[in-house]
Amino acid sequence: MTPNAAGSTFSMTSEAEHLLRLRKWLREELVGHGVPKQEQPNLLLAVGELCANSIQHAYEGKGGHPINVSVRSSAESLVIEVEDFGKPFDPRHYDAPDLEALPESGYGIFLVKTIADSLSIDVAREHGTRWTMVKYRPGYGPAASGGGRT
Amino acid sequence: MNIDVTQASGVAVVVPRGDLDMAAVPDVRSALTGLLDNGQSRLLIDLDDVAYIDSSGMGTLIAAMKQARAAGGDVRLCGLQEDVRTIFEITRVVQAMSIHPTRQEALASWR
Repeated sequence: MTPNAAGSTFSMTSEAEHLLRLRKWLREELVGHGVPKQEQPNLLLAVGELCANSIQHAYEGKGGHPINVSVRSSAESLVIEVEDFGKPFDPRHYDAPDLEALPESGYGIFLVKTIADSLSIDVAREHGTRWTMVKYRPGYGPAASGGGRT
Repeated sequence: MNIDVTQASGVAVVVPRGDLDMAAVPDVRSALTGLLDNGQSRLLIDLDDVAYIDSSGMGTLIAAMKQARAAGGDVRLCGLQEDVRTIFEITRVVQAMSIHPTRQEALASWR
């Protein structure tokens, strides 16, 4: 177990076929960063959703464009970043899905926000979006100290 | 994605094998709409061999369910692995779709 592991980065291009390779890499990373086994599937899902969003929305389904995923950790938390260089995410145009209506799409960001302990978005870049997900280790973070989620 | 389809008591049993992610959606959508467009309105999707589903994969199942219900049938699920069940629970889709532990129980639900 390596609770204070330096970061590593996975690079892919915006084809859905690369998501499988991403998940294989990320599974190994999560193990290496000491993420409990029961938490790994949800983190795989959340990162997969962010990358799928980059493919579908940032790059509008066009292949050949870069998406980078990086993972780093400390004793307190795991930090995963997903960045693309396409059309920036516009938070003003994001609506959470109406779950009662059983939509066929639009669940991605909602899933990430539910799974992550915090999610921040950097669109103040020349191109694209950087998503930063934080997952606190057991016993750390606002929830552990009685605070709320961000 | 490999998808097997068999028939059991008037129900098309669809068995995808692999990860049901954005990359697999075209194959799954094609298989399901092919059955529905040919008049098969009772579909059982056995997910016992699916270790990962993302929201696009789940959305494909929802779309098929809506089409089947509009035709008087349904799309039901069985064999959800624990890791896969989570996405259905977080999104509350688990409350809207008929999901059964085993294929046998799912087929029995139509009797």
